[in-house]
Amino acid sequence: MKDIITREEVINHPVEKVWNAISRAEEISTWFIKADFKAEAGTKYQFTASEENGCINITGEVKEATPYTLIYTWIVEGTDVVTTVKWRLEKKGEGTKLYLEHSGIANYPEESAIKMFESFSGGWQGCVNQLQDYLKK
Amino acid sequence: MQQKIDKIFKAIADPTRREILHALVMASVALPITDISAKFDISRQGVTKHIKVLADANLVKIKKKGREQMIYPNPKSLKTVSDWLKFYENFWDDKLKNLANYLDNK
Repeated sequence: MKDIITREEVINHPVEKVWNAISRAEEISTWFIKADFKAEAGTKYQFTASEENGCINITGEVKEATPYTLIYTWIVEGTDVVTTVKWRLEKKGEGTKLYLEHSGIANYPEESAIKMFESFSGGWQGCVNQLQDYLKK
Repeated sequence: MQQKIDKIFKAIADPTRREILHALVMASVALPITDISAKFDISRQGVTKHIKVLADANLVKIKKKGREQMIYPNPKSLKTVSDWLKFYENFWDDKLKNLANYLDNK
């Protein structure tokens, strides 16, 4: 368990198509969250969560938006914890290699403390089952 | 809620506090500040300061027993951190699946 979440995937679609999907408001609104978004560094954006997402809005600022890197801050409404979401795309043959990183989670600089948690025998890690309820708190 | 998580992470960012917390959780009983101080070879004042930060993040609880302050481990709040990470892991997995579906059907 780390305090940074990374995902790497190969998508069988051209990089331009994937880029549009992650950077254009109308497309983001379709597959992600209803978005008031402009892929331009320095602009503020808002993702408006629907009720099924727990009614929590996300706001932030676009830090970088040059093909094919998109970086924006991610602030859950009502909190002051600033995290960062980074998308990076690479052309891979006919497809696209997608790299996603959600970092600064809890603004914690090291991994070492998290490793410590894994050594706990209390079984707290197995207690995680009410994620939806948790988000609604 | 997120505010609290932030406090938890800040509290455990310090290696000494991590060790103190770890010792408490491993002992799984309350320890007097005096014992913790002796065990870690830090002044009582120093330990008290660390304990305050941990208590503020709700990772330990302080109870007075006679003249001594007893420190109880409260690992339950670590679950908060775990929940938070797990939540986002699931969230992104879900969304990436959506993205792939969206692109396939476009």
